Amino acid sequence: MTTRRFAKVLVANRGEIAVRVIRACRELGIRSVAIYSEADRSALHVRLADEALGVGPAPSRESYLRIDRVLEAARSSGADAIHPGYGFLAENADFARACEAAGVVFIGPRSETIALMGEKTSARREAKAAGVPVVPGTLEPIADEAGIARAAEAIGFPVMLKAAAGGGGKGLRLVAAPGELGSALARARSEAKGAFGDDRVYLEKALLRPRHIEIQVLADAHGNAVHLFERECSIQRRHQKVVEESPSPFVSPQLRERMGEMALALVKRVGYVNAGTLEFLVDTAGEPHFLEMNTRLQVEHPVTEMVTGVDLVRLQIRIAEGDVLPLRQADLAQRGHAIECRVYAEDPDQGFLPSPGRITALRAPGGPGVRDDSGVYEGYEVPVHYDSLVSKLVTWAETRAAAIERMRRAVSEYRVLGIRTTLPFFERVLRHPAFVAGDLDTGFVARLLEESAPPAPPLDVAIAAAAIAAYEERRRARSQSGPPAGSGSAWSATGRREAHAARLGTSG
Amino acid sequence: MIYDASVSGRSARVEVRGGAGRYTLRIDGTAIEVSVSDAGPGYRSLLIGATSHELGVEREGDAYRVSFPGASVVVTLAETARGGATLAPREQGPSRLTAPMPGRIVRVLSSAGADVVAGQGLVVIEAMKMENELRAPRGGRLTELLVREGQAVEAGALLAVVG
Repeated sequence: MTTRRFAKVLVANRGEIAVRVIRACRELGIRSVAIYSEADRSALHVRLADEALGVGPAPSRESYLRIDRVLEAARSSGADAIHPGYGFLAENADFARACEAAGVVFIGPRSETIALMGEKTSARREAKAAGVPVVPGTLEPIADEAGIARAAEAIGFPVMLKAAAGGGGKGLRLVAAPGELGSALARARSEAKGAFGDDRVYLEKALLRPRHIEIQVLADAHGNAVHLFERECSIQRRHQKVVEESPSPFVSPQLRERMGEMALALVKRVGYVNAGTLEFLVDTAGEPHFLEMNTRLQVEHPVTEMVTGVDLVRLQIRIAEGDVLPLRQADLAQRGHAIECRVYAEDPDQGFLPSPGRITALRAPGGPGVRDDSGVYEGYEVPVHYDSLVSKLVTWAETRAAAIERMRRAVSEYRVLGIRTTLPFFERVLRHPAFVAGDLDTGFVARLLEESAPPAPPLDVAIAAAAIAAYEERRRARSQSGPPAGSGSAWSATGRREAHAARLGTSG
Repeated sequence: MIYDASVSGRSARVEVRGGAGRYTLRIDGTAIEVSVSDAGPGYRSLLIGATSHELGVEREGDAYRVSFPGASVVVTLAETARGGATLAPREQGPSRLTAPMPGRIVRVLSSAGADVVAGQGLVVIEAMKMENELRAPRGGRLTELLVREGQAVEAGALLAVVG
């Protein structure tokens, strides 16, 4: 493989990750091509890209997931390469194969590697063959219910039922006892069928209070590979990560080195190229068990970038251009501590219900050590069709304690009106003694929601603000001339919000 | 102007006087001086004495949502000077289940005429790639169930009525 330079890269994604990739392209002097659905004409990634092409209607299966339309956009724009971001087509082996066939570079691993690691049981077999311990369980999908019941008995309850084609928490069921197996299997299969078009499942032993720790890797096409240490991702709700950090407060230098070596062993065995992540569950005894490999850029990649100083997206592009990795393992170190909070358009007061709608006011935090990877802007209407992630707020400081203090400060500066977000929830996480102590496991969020009510804001201040607003409105209404255009807009601009303010409850 | 204010279980009588960014309030008889400045769309800077508060203040129906950095609360106000009174949520009478956001009905879990208990799942609505189960606001007979599977609904759309 010889090194070349891309003149133009198509970004086959939307939202904050499309913005992230467009930024890397601009820094490299590469023209960026955005794609957009009919719901995304006004999206930030379209505004920031050098070129933008429509790829179909709002539903992603008719636009962002249409391999033919994405490739046609690449062809008509003359793009040399496609960056898939995460989600959508990022781990679709057919898409990578179609790119290879069309002569456009897929910025990621080879299609065979995606297929090999995307089937979760074959990934487990590869890990085992590379000497990497896996979570105890089956190494093949099991078709019949009797076979699953026998395997579950052999592994010992509780077990996790998982989709072989899985990812993103879909088709995943915790089964505590034999009696629950039948209904859990039906639901896991139906979810897996809907999400992946493949209802095969396998079993893993459910570990008690596991930590979710993952290792970032980078590998070039010349056989060189490095790992960029771990990310701690134990703060999850509904099997989706909400807070990540690096380094993990739990991982000792010895465990770090061991997990890094395991990751590189698997990377070398499967001939992995480009950026990837190996996810592990670490049990209470500190033993790591391989869970799966994500053959793409990870949502939470910024925390690794902050502590290593490595621009992962830039290197993804360089690797795809055929460059030799500019880093050796000995060049890499973790410096300081980084934390990421995922700002979702969800209402934490209502069980994280989605909260799409117009962002009527927005101010992102700034100052030292703060990074905001956002996909939105003030006035933007967050569409109902896609994932609810609007931004990733990242802070860096010399120590974990200082990074937490900085994140608390940044969250308190971050103001969003018009939609509900998970920002208030982070205030609770960042203050929680267990989080501050680094005592994390994947059950943290569920326990937090049960044990602590959100702190009440100063209610008299709220009363004063509302009463003054009502009083001003009344005075304006009385002075028949009304307010000059604009001065009343702070209040009237919230009309759109009311459309989203419907609440469940009792009414006449 | 005098209001009866209610927020998160606290009720207070509040009197507002002044104008042009400077107000004197009496909250349950305690006087406070407040300086107010617009702080961009939807935001207001309040100085209560010398203490600085940056708040989002949005109309939400007949009430106001006041957003602090870590939380937001809904304040309802009734003008006592005009003889109005805050309507407490009624515990009696039919209870309506409305869509909290636009989305698509992916499953209907009950049927009209059925007896339901408070918190029982009635419909599952999909929005932003998530399925959300909407539950009965209280127990009773499900007198109306107005949606079917596959149907798209707008925010605020009436989905069901528990009689």
